[in-house]
Amino acid sequence: MTLALAVDIGLALLVLAVAGWTIAVRDTFAAVIGFVAYGLLLALVWVRLAAPDVALTEAAVGSGLTGLLLLSASARLRHAKTSAAPPGPVLQWAAGALCILIAAGLAALVLLLPDPAPTLAPAAVAHLPATGLGNPVTGVLMVYRAIDTFLESVVLLPALLGVWSLASEGDWGGAPILRHPRPDGALTLMAQVLPPLGIIVGVYLCWNSADHPGGAFQGGAVLAAMWVLALLAGLVDAPPIRQRGLRVLLVAGAAVLLAVGLAGIGLAGAFLAYPEHYSKPLILAIEMALVLSIAVALALLVAGPPVRTPS
Amino acid sequence: MRWGERMEIADFLLTVAVFVLAMVALGLVRILRGPAAADQMMAAQLFGTGGIAALLLLGVATEADAVIDVALVLALLAAFASVAFVQGAAPADEDIKEKNHP
Repeated sequence: MTLALAVDIGLALLVLAVAGWTIAVRDTFAAVIGFVAYGLLLALVWVRLAAPDVALTEAAVGSGLTGLLLLSASARLRHAKTSAAPPGPVLQWAAGALCILIAAGLAALVLLLPDPAPTLAPAAVAHLPATGLGNPVTGVLMVYRAIDTFLESVVLLPALLGVWSLASEGDWGGAPILRHPRPDGALTLMAQVLPPLGIIVGVYLCWNSADHPGGAFQGGAVLAAMWVLALLAGLVDAPPIRQRGLRVLLVAGAAVLLAVGLAGIGLAGAFLAYPEHYSKPLILAIEMALVLSIAVALALLVAGPPVRTPS
Repeated sequence: MRWGERMEIADFLLTVAVFVLAMVALGLVRILRGPAAADQMMAAQLFGTGGIAALLLLGVATEADAVIDVALVLALLAAFASVAFVQGAAPADEDIKEKNHP
């Protein structure tokens, strides 16, 4: 397996080079490009580490919406007339030292793990048939640690409220505007061709997650990217944030998960426990509601605060 | 391995993956050197294409089916990222207005 080792060493060197360059480069636009390339390499690394679920998440979140979010922040910074002085050398050294401390701590933790490392993986796989699922990662996320997934689905909402709270007084309840400054034929064509494919892939990732790598977050990120593309090309307008249907969609995922969880108290004897033989359809129903909520929340996070006065 | 010896298909695919990764590294040099934002953007796109190719080769060589899904998502979002890059590199609305109406 020396060839596989060559691939791994090459990947590791590339990751280090891109990471170092992303930190060292002065221009924010170039740094974001470096960060997107870094995300792509990380997806490759996760595949080599036999973690396709993590690779899918990295691919779906890191190479799509994150790039757009960081690039619009960089563009806004470039055009803002900033008067604040750049941070002094003391602050820069302190930030650098803290980052090194965190990286060294993580490295020490990994190196100091006993061999073999403690793991719950055999136990997770052993009880998987009872859940009706085939993918152990989905089993952990939706059955063993469903409470974590519930909190994760809720935490997107305070983040969105934080973005919305940046709206000025008169714009509250209005619609965010996310449109390319100069939409032209190429962008319009792409926004018409790509979303049909993207919607299929997004739903597939979510539906597939019961037995294969995938999940609501990955699928939601792909769906959100497709909506954002249509918004950028000006094919559709972002809905006003006071719209009731939009808000129902935003809370649907967490609400369905909470409803199934509460029903579990009566039917299966514990919060977030699934009644026997019904776990797989229930999990898929939760995932379908979650994927919609996550897609809408992620797209609105990228779209930013409302800037159009409600009419 | 000497010339003429039989090569396992997995080894062949891994060799090609190493080659593609080396080409991606050369593309990386292009990112490093710039000089314009457009060069960096195109290099990042090339990086995406090469990365997806290496990923598929690795996936087939190691018989990991889920890799094809990862490649699918990356290919789909690479097209999206190009739009994001152009959006980020384009001057903001105010700048265009200022240029058109000085």
